[in-house]
This record gives sequence, structure tokens and C-alpha cells, in this order.
Amino acid sequence: MVFIEIQNLFKRFKKVVAVNHIHLEVNQGEMLTLLGPSGCGKTTTLRCIAGLEKPEEGDIVIDGDPMLSKGFVHPSKRGIGMVFQNYAVWPHMKVYKNIVYGLKIQKIPKRKIQERAQQVLELVGLTGLEDRYPGQLSGGQQQRVALARALVGNPKVLLLDEPLSNLDAKLREKMRFEIKSLVRRMGITSVYVTHDQAEAMVISDRIAVMDSGNVVQIGTPHEIYEKPANRFVADFIGTMNFIPGEISEVLKDKDLAYVLTEFGQKMLCRVLDFAEAAPNKKVHASIRPEDIEVFPEPPRDRENLFKGTIMHRAYLGNFLYFFINIDSTMIRVQAPYNMMQKEGEELFLLLNPEKCIVLS
Amino acid sequence: MSRGNIFLAALLWSVIAFLVIYPLSILAVESFKIAETNNWGIKNYLEFFQDTYYLKTFGNTLILSSLVLMTTTLFGVPLAYILARYRHRGKTIFTALILLPIVLPAYAGVFAFIIFFGKYGTVNLLLMDMGLTKAPINFIYGLHGLVFIQSLHMLPFIVLGLSAGFTNIDPSFEEAAEVEGASGFWRFFTVSLPLCTPSYLAGAVIVFLWPFTDWLTPLILGQVDFLPSVAYINIAYHFTDMHRKYMGIVAVVIAAIVCISIFLIARWWVERKKYTGLSKGTTAEGRVIEPTPLVKLGAYLYMFLIAGLVLLIPIVLGLSAFSRRWVLEPFPTYWTLENFRLILLESPLLIQNSFVFSGIALLFGITFGLPAAYLIVRTRVRGKDALDFMITLMLAFPGIAVGVSYLLAFWQDIPLARLWIIMPLALFARRLPYFLRMAHSSYLQLDVSLEEASEVSGAGKLRTFMNISLPLLIKGVLVGVVMFFIMAFQEISTAIFLYRGGWETLPIGIFLNWHRGMEFGIAAAMAFLMIVITFILLLIISRIGGGILKAAWGPGGT
Repeated sequence: MVFIEIQNLFKRFKKVVAVNHIHLEVNQGEMLTLLGPSGCGKTTTLRCIAGLEKPEEGDIVIDGDPMLSKGFVHPSKRGIGMVFQNYAVWPHMKVYKNIVYGLKIQKIPKRKIQERAQQVLELVGLTGLEDRYPGQLSGGQQQRVALARALVGNPKVLLLDEPLSNLDAKLREKMRFEIKSLVRRMGITSVYVTHDQAEAMVISDRIAVMDSGNVVQIGTPHEIYEKPANRFVADFIGTMNFIPGEISEVLKDKDLAYVLTEFGQKMLCRVLDFAEAAPNKKVHASIRPEDIEVFPEPPRDRENLFKGTIMHRAYLGNFLYFFINIDSTMIRVQAPYNMMQKEGEELFLLLNPEKCIVLS
Repeated sequence: MSRGNIFLAALLWSVIAFLVIYPLSILAVESFKIAETNNWGIKNYLEFFQDTYYLKTFGNTLILSSLVLMTTTLFGVPLAYILARYRHRGKTIFTALILLPIVLPAYAGVFAFIIFFGKYGTVNLLLMDMGLTKAPINFIYGLHGLVFIQSLHMLPFIVLGLSAGFTNIDPSFEEAAEVEGASGFWRFFTVSLPLCTPSYLAGAVIVFLWPFTDWLTPLILGQVDFLPSVAYINIAYHFTDMHRKYMGIVAVVIAAIVCISIFLIARWWVERKKYTGLSKGTTAEGRVIEPTPLVKLGAYLYMFLIAGLVLLIPIVLGLSAFSRRWVLEPFPTYWTLENFRLILLESPLLIQNSFVFSGIALLFGITFGLPAAYLIVRTRVRGKDALDFMITLMLAFPGIAVGVSYLLAFWQDIPLARLWIIMPLALFARRLPYFLRMAHSSYLQLDVSLEEASEVSGAGKLRTFMNISLPLLIKGVLVGVVMFFIMAFQEISTAIFLYRGGWETLPIGIFLNWHRGMEFGIAAAMAFLMIVITFILLLIISRIGGGILKAAWGPGGT
């Protein structure tokens, strides 16, 4: 069931278009992530949902109620909870006061406020810290206060604006899972903004990748990674080798095509979008470093097998990273950590046709 | 800790010891002397706290301080909010006008308001001419007038601190409150204002201390029952009566103790309350609101009112400066350049003295301030924090305390006060914090790796300072230099005790001419001249950069 519907949303700041007529749907109980580089419009979109920005055009429907077309609905009347990038935990109020601030404004009975606050404190694991000032808490704890404050009012929608970007790497990884399981347990519909693709992969049910004000692809983490809609998505999510070339032959019934690469050899690739695939069209044969196998000796009768020279070799502990030169084309390869080949030596690369895709 | 740094620290400390610690301790010692005997004791202090008159002056001063603080807060909070948050035209010019009193000498404002709001001043004459009132209304003579004039003078300290506070609050603090459903007013009082308490307090303490420092405004308005005025009268008018002199010194010491303790308490409180490290990623402009037309109109009217009151000072003084015998008429009728002829041609010495003394003080300031800033920011010499502390403390010392202490300390054993050099020395000691602050804060912004790169390349410390640090610091230093000069140029509280025949400066000339009664045209012309000079210096500051706004800010008193 669609719970939040963003229709034709358009927002600009003076002359800069931040959000360019986008459509988005968030299902009930789902965690949708808006992912993209800085300036792509993801935060603006989130702030429009929250009501902190007023878009020029379009509408946002939350649980059947339009937020804009029938008069602007104030942020506090939208049934949302929000976690800000810098937590925005008020430093002059104790933890407890921070959390119950909104409930007090709603004039909820004191006993009920206490009950609710205790529940939510327990939920985020802050019990016992309610009399501390935010300045006496660690970054992670402040983050939990922000989360508790957003959740205490039983919001219909939880909005999170890069909530982990101010934490250190270890803590960030831990909090990803915590937030995910918390939100799952509560079954709350949430929109999460981040520029960190790993974070998006871990936390989201679906990801909407944004680029310069547009949504370029929506899908599950798996779909986005395996079938990127274009070069931007492929490049932004994970690492991808883009080998320039042109299509020499399209095998329609098999969803496959041969690409004549810039290093002069043909390469068999999958076609995701037939509109993209026409003979002589300039394309990029694209494959991720982990989808390339390397052999010291050439295996027999294999498609997409090329010989190259190791230019750089980097040891990363759990695997090796090679930069391999095939006739002036540089290919990045992730290989098992126990390969002993050195820089300058030759290797055979098998570019798995199942994993190799044609992108414009 | 290198040897050079220790040597430098020792040098700076000996200057502080000689020019600050020594005279102030002499002042403290002197307050324990009992008149007509060779005895010592706390008799003077006992008398102070048992005498109903002295107690009354103490109470009056406290009341005045509280009233001034209340008034400035009441008027300053909305003003700061308007300046920081509303999008409006002429923001820069309004800000500049409202902050102008910081650099205008306090006495200039008093004279202007006497001429304009006095018993037979412009406003009363106009009201009576129009038949609206029969007898003149007492606008300024009395506590209410003191509160009005001192509040207008101190308003910038509240506005500046608070508007910087409002601008620097991370917008998401307020957005979070908005999402939680807090209305505008509720949000302002529960989130925005509390978050600004540190910046408010920093200004509020300076405002509160002003009545403990300002002896001149009450004196001119004929309201002498305030601590600094009583001290001044006892010492300056009754120096032949030893007992009254000592009681005056006791009053000075008590005023100084009040100032220092309140200053220290506020500093400690602000340090404790600072919400640092909690607001990341602030936008340069802060949150800006587009108010409704009605609110906007109100805001404009409000700003016009305050800016208009400030503008009255140069306008009224200007009118008075270019006229003669402007009495009992709402506006001058006889225009002349005679006042300026008298000042510029007949007694150019005053202006010359002002420039020479302030200039020499400035030279001392730079030669002391730059190494001090270096020592405090860049080294780990022991006692550098104490050095910083001592210099900052000078901000809180009443000028009258410095003046009296110099007179006592440098008359007999070290007879410096018999030489004119005492004037620039006193100005230097009193205004040093202004220069140090600027040098200090720009030094903090200078990335230490730029200097380290120079040292790695083989340059010595001094060479690095001269070739790398100084050129990069020059903006902040220059702003500090001009600011120091402005504040030294208008100094009167210390100089009034130290000047001897031939050493009169422009502010002293203003005071003396006013005192002489009929010569207020000359006094006004001198004050007008000072405002013009100050204004030119301010223009230089804004040219250098940093804007009048930042440059003008350095808490302190006359």
C-alpha cells in the first residue's frame, strides 16, 4: 500500500533547481532511502516532505492527506518525526526535556508523557541518562536522543536526514543495524537520506538514486547494484569498469550483444535495455571488479577471455586489487588474496558475460 | 619551551607588573591609609559601609545598573532578532547606525541629549511653541534620563552579542522545535533565546558594569550620588582633604572589586554554558525569515526609532558646532565657523596632543600586543593563560581606578607622572585588550602548518613571524590598530587624573569647555570633530575588511 506519494515535486532556490518534477512512492512500513551525491536534491526532497521547505509545484500525500494542494500543512501537523543531520538535540535541555518537548506542547497528561518517554528511552537504550545534558553524552548517545525525540510522538512517518554522518566509522556501522531493526520492529514508514552507498545498501528496503534534482532509479539494493539504470548509478553504487566500445551485433532472443571494445577485441555483454542496443552505437561494456576472474594460465573455450599486464597490485588483507592493462585499457580487478603474481607479470582475465552489461 | 619564549614571557610580565599590578596594588594599599595619622587599617572601609550616604550611592549604582540592563535587554532582544533574522533592505546601514554608540564617546551623547531633550532644549521649546505643554517636561534630569542615555550607549553590546548568537544558532535546532509543534513565540523562548544565553551574558556583563565605571554622565546631568561620580568628586575636587581623598579611593576600589568579580563570574558562567561542539555545519547566513508586511513595517519603524536616536548625536552636535549661543531656541539662528577657528587655530595643541599620545600608545600597543598574541596562541610557556587573563581583566577595570592608581604610584618613588610620557603609557595600559583581542583572534585562525612549513624550510622563529605570520595576520592586526586608536583617542576617565598644563587632549578639552558653562559651542565643536575623526577611522576599518560590525566589537568602557 502506498503511504507517501510525492507528485510532480518541484523546488528551486533562486535560479538553482533543487528538485525537478519528481515522482516517488513510499509503501507502508517501508524504509526508502534517497541516495545521491551532495547537491542532488535528496535533502530538499526530505525537507519538503517534512514541510520545512515549500515547493513551487507538486503535492505530497501522506496517508491519503494532501500536504500542499489543499493548503499547506504545518510540519507539526503532518504526523512526522525527524532526525536531523547534526542531531539538533537542544544543548540547554536535559535528555528527558528534549524528548518530551513536543508532547508537552500537545498538552498530553503528565503521567502519559512519563510513560511514553520511559518506553522510548528503553527502546533506544538510554534508560538512566534522562537527567544528563546533551554535552555530557557521546555522539552516539546524542544520536539516540534525537531518535527517541522523533519516535516519542508515535509518528506515522520517520524522516532521517543523514543521521549517521557525524559519527565515527565503527559506530556508524553499528548504528545502521540498530536503526534498521528499530524501525522494522516499529513497522514505521521511513524516508532516509544519505550519500553513503554502503549505508543505503544496509538500511533500505528500496533505494531511490537521485542526480541533479531527478530520481534516476528506484529499486531494491539488489536491483540497483545488479541492474543499474545508467552509468551514473553504476558508478555511484560500488565500483564499475567502463570499457568504451561500440555494439557490433545484437543477439535479441538471448538478451545479449557483442561489443567491439577500444582494445580491439569483441566482448559478450548482457543487454538490460533494448532501446540502448543498436549496432554501431557507442556504448560502455561495464563490469564490476569482483565479477572478473583471473588466471595465470588461460582456461579453455571461454568467452570474454583477455590477456593483460599487472600495472599495480594492492594487498587489502581479505583480497587483492589489481590494475590490469589490456592494450592501454585499464581494468580494475578484485582477486583472491593468495595470488602471488607481481607487477609486470601477465594474467588472463575472464569477464563473466552474465555479469557484464551494456551501458550507454 | 624554548629560551626565547621564556625570555619573551618574562619581558611581557615585567611590563604588566610595572604598568598594571604595581599601580593597582598601590591603589589598594592607599585605601587602607587613615587620614591625619600614620596608621593603617580597615577604618575607611568600615566607614563606607556604615555611612548612609556612601551606602546610598552604592545602592543607587546597583539600581541604575539593573535598570540599564533591563532597558537594554527589553529593547535589544527584538532589535537583535530583527537584524539577525528578517530579510530587509538597508540591513548594513541600520546595523552600522545601531552599533555606532560603541565607538562614540559617551560624553558626546550626553551633550547632544541635553541640547535636544534638556529643560529648554529643542523638543521642549517646540512642544511649548506649539502650545502642547506649558512648562518644560523633564526628559533627562534624573534617574530616568540616566537610564535612557546609558542604555542607548550600551545597547549595541546587547544587540551585537545576541544577533551574532541568533545568526550562529544551527537552523536545525529551531526546525526540530517546529516539527515538534512549537509556535513562533514558544520556539523563541524555549529554544532560540536560551541557546543565546552565552552571547547575551557576554554583552550583559559589560552593560551592567558601565554604571560602576561611568562617572561623567551622572556628573553632567547633576546626579552625583553614584559610586564612580562620588569617587571622582572626592578625589578630584577635594584632594586637599586627606580623609575625603581616601574615602574616594575606597569608593574606586569597591567599584573595581564589583566590576572584577561580576566580570569573572560572568566569564566563568559563559565558559560553563558554552554549547560548543554541538552545532555542526552552520550556514553562513543563518536562518532568515520573510516577515509579513505588517510585522515588517513594525520592524522598520522600530529600527528607525533607535537609529534616529543614535543619529541625533552627530546631528545635534553638528548644529551646535556650527552656531553660536544657541540658547532658548529650538534650532540655531546664528551660523559660524568661529568654534572651529578657535579649536584649530588658537588651540591646536589639544588635537596634536590627542594624536601624539594615542599614536605613541598605539606603538606601545603593537610592540607589546603582537608578541603577547604570539605567546598566548602559539606557545606553551607557563603562565601564558595568566597573562591573557591579566590583560583581559583590564577590560573590567574602571578607567577612574587606573587614573587614580597611576597618580598614586608614579608620583613620588617613580616620578613618571611628572613627565608627559605617562599619558600614552596610561592609554596603552587601559586600551591594550582591544588590540590584543583582534591580534589574538586572527592568530587563532591562522593555520599553524603555514608557519611550520616555513620553519621546516629553515627560517627561524622571528623570520617566520615577519615573513609568514605577520603578512597573513595583517588584516586583523590593522583592524585592531584602528580600534585601539579610536578607543585611546576618546579616553577621558584615566587621562583626566593625569593631565597637567599643556597635556590636555581633545576629550579633556571637551570636558573643560563644558564645565566653563558658556562655551558649550566649543565643546560641541570638539565633540563633533571627534565624531568625524572616529567616523573616518571606521571607514578605514570597513575598507580593511571585517566590516564595521566585527571591528567595532570589543567590550569595554570609557
